[in-house]
Amino acid sequence: MTATKLSISGVGKNFGAVRALDRVDLDIAPGEFVTLIGPSGCGKSTLFNMLAGLLEPDAGGTILLDGKPGKLLGRTAFMPQRDLLLPWRNVLDNALLPCEIEGLPRAETRARAEKMAVDFGLRGFEKHFPQQLSGGMRQRVALMRTFMFERDLMLLDEPFGALDALTRSMMQRWLLDIWARYRRTIIFITHDIDEAIFLADRVVVMSARPGRIKLDRRIELPRPRDAHLLTAPEFTAIKRELLDAVEEESLKSFSA
Amino acid sequence: MNRAVILRGILGAVLLIGAWEFSVRFFALPQWILPPPSGILATAWSGRAALLPAAAMTAYEALSGYAIGAVLGVGLAMLLALAAPLRAVLLPMVVAVNSIPVAAYAPLALLWFGTGALSKIIMVAFIVGFTVFLNALDGLTRVDPAAIALLRSFGAGRLRLLWTLRLPAALPSIATGLRISTVRAMIVTLVTEMLGSQLGLGWTIFQAVLLIDFLQVWAAILVASIISLLFFGVVSAIERRVVFWR
Ligand SMILES: Nc1ncnc2c1ncn2[C@@H]1O[C@H](COP(=O)(O)OP(=O)(O)OP(=O)(O)O)[C@@H](O)[C@H]1O
Ligand SMILES: [Mg+2]
Repeated sequence: MTATKLSISGVGKNFGAVRALDRVDLDIAPGEFVTLIGPSGCGKSTLFNMLAGLLEPDAGGTILLDGKPGKLLGRTAFMPQRDLLLPWRNVLDNALLPCEIEGLPRAETRARAEKMAVDFGLRGFEKHFPQQLSGGMRQRVALMRTFMFERDLMLLDEPFGALDALTRSMMQRWLLDIWARYRRTIIFITHDIDEAIFLADRVVVMSARPGRIKLDRRIELPRPRDAHLLTAPEFTAIKRELLDAVEEESLKSFSA
Repeated sequence: MNRAVILRGILGAVLLIGAWEFSVRFFALPQWILPPPSGILATAWSGRAALLPAAAMTAYEALSGYAIGAVLGVGLAMLLALAAPLRAVLLPMVVAVNSIPVAAYAPLALLWFGTGALSKIIMVAFIVGFTVFLNALDGLTRVDPAAIALLRSFGAGRLRLLWTLRLPAALPSIATGLRISTVRAMIVTLVTEMLGSQLGLGWTIFQAVLLIDFLQVWAAILVASIISLLFFGVVSAIERRVVFWR
């Protein structure tokens, strides 16, 4: 039996009369990079909120982290859809926010953050305020903040959704690099099929609302991956297969 | 504020005062309608020995009341920000009390706390406290729920949320309340002084009206306006420093 980092079974969620999430079953291995794709409103963020412990699943659903049930709040590193940088804190202090809340010794975490800022391309910007940064940079600060919260499981909700295509593909390669270096388990929500395939060990496609797992596709493409992969025939083959699944669900959510 | 804005402000004031002086002289207005600025300045200068202590008293009352009210307002708002059920009970009452005009309480304050500085300080603290409280509470409770969720996901509790997120996020509102309160503090001080006191610019104005000494009335108004402007200016400058991200 292989160890499971996260085990989700029968997790659903109703908001009043709206069934946002149906029964979701999903197991994730340690160190895995899983991308989650599905039509808008299918409950992806809702699932993340439950994994982060911000929302309780409806009765019958269980979420096991490291094989154990229990409170999830503070046990996963959650990055919400918007960067939510605090405008009164500079780059470094924003990244240090989770450590400050945890009550970790300041000098130590500061030194760690200063080192990490180099990896995140934020060197020389430590004292800048969020208003002074480009969109890509803000997103890197938000990611760094998530990495500073040292949890094995990271939940990234469309971290590159607001970026232009060029910045985005750079950030993807960069994230893979960071991931290889820091070795965390990552679940990554996206609306972009290329991005989903390019990053992932596994792409999970969700159905239109109420969300269920529609397809769970392992991506065996070799790593490290570079931009040329996007035009390789094995990549396009996977893309076609996923596109069919995603398209079908998008149409459903449109006509619903 | 840049230099051009300040220069334009000064230029505007000079033009206004010039026009005032000119029209008073040109139309030969009687003093009880409007005295000329030159006459007001001369009266203020020659009467400085009496005006200065009065100004000091007014400033003392306004500032002390302001400080007490500001601390109480922010403190109470923080307390209520932590206790949602209490807030639901208290807030409508606070809003109701706050909407009664100030002058209505002033005679009571004089009755209860005498005609000395205490009655003015309490009146000012009361008005400033309400203003700051309502602004602060609004800022403290109107924080992006997504930001709250983020901090909670890092394990933040209520107190941590208040200190690290709600309070800084509320600073713009709190600063607005504090800025509005400067002028209110001066008005309340002057009004309460007029109703009963031994010293202060409000009292000076009231006495001068009884003595039909309109130059003295205007001289006291001039000094009160200067104090008010300085007060407002200093608080605004501090606000721009503290709330630098807005
Ligand atoms: N707190 C809430 N109260 C009521 N309904 C909610 C709440 N949160 C989400 N919903 C509803 O649940 C459904 C799923 O929302 P969710 O945000 O999880 O979708 P999503 O898959 O993340 O969409 P997107 O890709 O657009 O971000 C939506 O129909 C939404 O309106
Ligand atoms: Mg979402």
